[in-house]
Amino acid sequence: MTMRMTTPLPHGGRLVERVVTDPVLAKKLAKGCPVYDIKPTVNEKGVPVRNVYREIMSICYGFFSPVEGPMGSAELERVLNERRLLNDWIFPFPLLFDLSQEDYKKLGVGPGDRLLLRLKGKPFAVLDISEVFVVDDREAMAHRIFGTPENNPEVVKEPFDKKHPGWVIYKCHNPVMLAGKYTIINPPTFKPPFDRFWLPPRQSRAEYAKRGWRTVINHQTRNVPHVGHEFLMKNAAYTGDIEPCNGIQVNAIIGVKRRGDYPDEAILEGHEAVNKGGYIKPERHIVTFTLWDMRYGNPLESMLHGIVRQNMGCTHHMFGRDHAAVGEYYDMYATQILWDKGIPSFGFPKSVCEVPYGLQIRPQNMAEFWYCPKCNEIAYSGSCGHSKEKQKFSGSFIRGMVAEGIYPPGVIFRPEVYEVVVKWWKKFNYPFCNEAYVKRVEEELEINLPDLDV
Amino acid sequence: MAKKFAVLLDDKRFSSVKGSGLEDKIDFLFGGALKAFIMDISEDEAKKIMNTFDTARVDSRGYITDTPIAFNRVLFEEIAKAKSLGGEVIGAVLKREKEIKDMAAKESDFLPAPEI
Repeated sequence: MTMRMTTPLPHGGRLVERVVTDPVLAKKLAKGCPVYDIKPTVNEKGVPVRNVYREIMSICYGFFSPVEGPMGSAELERVLNERRLLNDWIFPFPLLFDLSQEDYKKLGVGPGDRLLLRLKGKPFAVLDISEVFVVDDREAMAHRIFGTPENNPEVVKEPFDKKHPGWVIYKCHNPVMLAGKYTIINPPTFKPPFDRFWLPPRQSRAEYAKRGWRTVINHQTRNVPHVGHEFLMKNAAYTGDIEPCNGIQVNAIIGVKRRGDYPDEAILEGHEAVNKGGYIKPERHIVTFTLWDMRYGNPLESMLHGIVRQNMGCTHHMFGRDHAAVGEYYDMYATQILWDKGIPSFGFPKSVCEVPYGLQIRPQNMAEFWYCPKCNEIAYSGSCGHSKEKQKFSGSFIRGMVAEGIYPPGVIFRPEVYEVVVKWWKKFNYPFCNEAYVKRVEEELEINLPDLDV
Repeated sequence: MAKKFAVLLDDKRFSSVKGSGLEDKIDFLFGGALKAFIMDISEDEAKKIMNTFDTARVDSRGYITDTPIAFNRVLFEEIAKAKSLGGEVIGAVLKREKEIKDMAAKESDFLPAPEI
């Protein structure tokens, strides 16, 4: 028996890295290419719901290894039917490069062509096109992606509709799909505070090796951490091999926000405040992020999270109730079901760790933490026998308290974390994402691009 | 199913209900770190609140949350006026729907940050 775990291989066996840092080579790659300016995907009201630049970044820096570019028609079908890539490795979502018919006609490109993708008016990446195809019924595609109560009765409770942000993203894709491989030719720089949390897989693996972290457990977040989150991190990290996990990685998903979410800046710095305040010492805790417009696909999203964090070098991933969920479309334990016994209708008769070409990262399925007035402590629901007396950490309750300007007690928010919330509240004149924030983020994005004359 | 609603009490609200007879109805949460009135909301009232304010939702505890801040403020005012946590308070709040929505529209653009 091997007692000590080792860093898992990347999903698919090797890290994808498709970033050119040599400007001479970049210019050579872009020379003479037709040009397309990346546009956000917008919903029926014209509000941005996705920007494909985030997918290009996550693919080219290896977060989504082994995917190298937008999927072709056969791969799309396989992902929809079996949640697998053509090379057999499991993958939950279609990743597509979509164009309107008008833009496609203007470009006049086809298989074998290279397209220069510009972002914010500057060269960003190239797409080597291998196929062009059309998806006429994107609403049907969206239903196939997320499932239906009829086809996926194990976990889907309600039909998906326009209230579900991930379903809307796919429904609002343009009809023409270009498949192929992306290469970033002009690596962007991140604006503060994002710059100090950017740790793509190659670097994260090197960092954890440098820190001597053999085992690392990931905490998924899209929230400023309250004390319940902190206890989840601390306690889930007791798993490991012969000792608790050496490191705790917080990986925030940064992308299009929903009204009422906390601003991205507050999420990242809020988690950092947990280690700066010593509640989990910085030697054991690191804050990072992945660019992705969240699909809120609960079990499917958790599979993507597993892939990203395995690629980053994590050995474990904590999963709670309602993981990456919105509304009541999925069973609240759908993610834990996927990682425990599998979801046959999604193509997994066993856990995604136990199927061929599956994941190596180990799940740590957790119940919840609450405040117990009888135990007089923050208690684990699996241990505490006072469920009648429990006082739950409800994110929406805490948001309400923040919005009313009530100073949250330390048992709910660490003062250092609340200071971060207020810092960004003053900057944006609002504690949460409102229309102005969402609009500004999607106009300005998280990055700047250097000049590159091609 | 009936729901609940937590009306948080900061120091200002707490002192304003002193002597009103409502002190006995205060719940002390999180080891006494938070004070609140926990109201029982009938199914009918819950439906009316949810239908009137589209951001409102029921959280995993069975509490109505995400109502406009103006709603929470008006709810406290009506509690203090009626010296009661009874159903009539919700009725009085819903009568002020327009006023709440007007205030909520302003609050969606700007909320003053607290000085800490």
